Amino acid sequence: MLMAVKNQIKVTLVSVKYALMREMLNKWTFLMNVFFMILNNASFILQWIVIYSLKQDIGGYTFEQVLLLWAFTASTFGISHFFFRKAYSLSDTITYGKLDSYLVQPKNILISAITSEVDASAIGDMLYALIIVLISKLTMWQVLLFMILSICGGVILTALAVILASLSFWLNKSDMIADTGNNMTTHFATYPEGIFNGIVKFLLYTIIPVGFTNYIPVSVMTNFDWKLTLMVIGATAFWVAAAFAIFYKGLRRYSSSNLMIAKI
Amino acid sequence: MAVIEVKNLGKNFNVKLKEKGFMGSMKSVFQPSYKRVEAVKGVSFEVQEGEVIAFIGPNGAGKSTTIKMLTGILYPDGGNVKVLGIDPTRQRKKLAYEIGTVFGQKEQLWMHLTPYDNFKFFGAIYDIPAEEVEKRISELNDIFELQDIMNTPVRNLSLGQRIRCEIAASLIHRPKILFLDEPTIGLDPVVKDNIRKLIKKMNKEYKTTIFLTSHDVSDIEKLCKRVIIVNKGTLVLDDTMENLKYHYLNKKIVELKLAQKIDFSNVDGIKVLKQKDKSIKLEVDLKKKSLSDVWKLINPDDIIDVNISNTPLEEIISDIYKGG
Repeated sequence: MLMAVKNQIKVTLVSVKYALMREMLNKWTFLMNVFFMILNNASFILQWIVIYSLKQDIGGYTFEQVLLLWAFTASTFGISHFFFRKAYSLSDTITYGKLDSYLVQPKNILISAITSEVDASAIGDMLYALIIVLISKLTMWQVLLFMILSICGGVILTALAVILASLSFWLNKSDMIADTGNNMTTHFATYPEGIFNGIVKFLLYTIIPVGFTNYIPVSVMTNFDWKLTLMVIGATAFWVAAAFAIFYKGLRRYSSSNLMIAKI
Repeated sequence: MAVIEVKNLGKNFNVKLKEKGFMGSMKSVFQPSYKRVEAVKGVSFEVQEGEVIAFIGPNGAGKSTTIKMLTGILYPDGGNVKVLGIDPTRQRKKLAYEIGTVFGQKEQLWMHLTPYDNFKFFGAIYDIPAEEVEKRISELNDIFELQDIMNTPVRNLSLGQRIRCEIAASLIHRPKILFLDEPTIGLDPVVKDNIRKLIKKMNKEYKTTIFLTSHDVSDIEKLCKRVIIVNKGTLVLDDTMENLKYHYLNKKIVELKLAQKIDFSNVDGIKVLKQKDKSIKLEVDLKKKSLSDVWKLINPDDIIDVNISNTPLEEIISDIYKGG
């Protein structure tokens, strides 16, 4: 069992390495992607600087907390899109029968399918998060906590993408639902928690898991709380288990296809 | 020893139906209707170790669906499948270590990587130690003559070179059975011939059982000793190539160049396929007329040239597809 896990991790890392090699073939496109993603994220912070110059408290967040919120948004998005890019096009992979090549390999189908591509611009997101961490003057303990919570958040976002994409096993053209769900999560993740109430807030801790990817992490970074930290780790385990369960349930309905396909 | 055992295998698909035009689309949103398509219906057969078997049929016959159920890609709706004693649906990973697959229509290699990097990647997938991978790459390099293309990205290779690499990659873990789904599709005759030689070679050298689907009759004729034909989801023939030819070769093609024109159009058992002046091409149904009967209709002094041949295998198979 341990050997199998070790081998799976090894193959996953090799797969990510090769996917990165593909992106780096076009050096300038690769560098521009990274640079423009940093610039894109920075433009939103300028917007918040203007807003905070008019009002000191928005939704219960200080400007430093909004910075942290953006750092988590960028790091979780970056981790998810860099390591698990294909989770966001998994609908197509299922619909057009492109899972075949993973199904004949002796490795975990889901992990193999979602780690076979990386998104170069996601490196820009991760670098952007790093820049915010550096200017926020966090302690070593806070940096470590930030990394753990970011990994958890990245994994939760990936699990959500897998669950939404797995709808393709049951529904036609569900890629639109998946895109909407994933985009909605990113949008909610960039606003302070306090501006949402009632049913919306309930949704943000359930089907749109921004509470676990952003709000609790920001709160834990400001005032450390073991229980909340464990809650994020528990939520991560729950989302991962749900993603695997739903994907494998759907896989029984997989119908493949005979399209002419190239893995480019 | 049977390495593939299939009993009453079945697979159905639900296909959404849509009426014509925009209104049809609207109706399918609110009142969707589905048609149940039986892609594979109660197919049973066995394949012995070391066999090279052709699994053929017209488009939509259920060949690929069957191959996908044998390799664990699709779940069957009925029946039993055992490949090397393993149930593909319950022990997919265990089976994957023992079989290799090449889908001519689908790319399994990473296009931006060189064949060498691809082989290394596949080595990691099958948990083969690095030193052993190097040894096997060098072995495959010799058999498949890959030295000139080993360090060229796959996307820059010709189709024939790519298929050679696909087959080589599928052998890195030394599978006991190799499933080849139309491996020669789109290749020119010379490359096709090379691929066939390679398939023969690996069957001989590694004793690999080959399960082949192809629309190319030459693939079947040159490689396989046994043929299974499926049509509309059911098995219509399971026989050796020798028997297939013996039982179905009851027609001969006779091409004649004569000194004077003869009319065969109303002769029972003879079909005129082509006629141009004094040259004529006939199909003789041996059940109705022997060749000596044909000679009796011709004055021997009028025969300038004659050529007698068997009905091409392609036509025999085509007749079987049509239920002939």
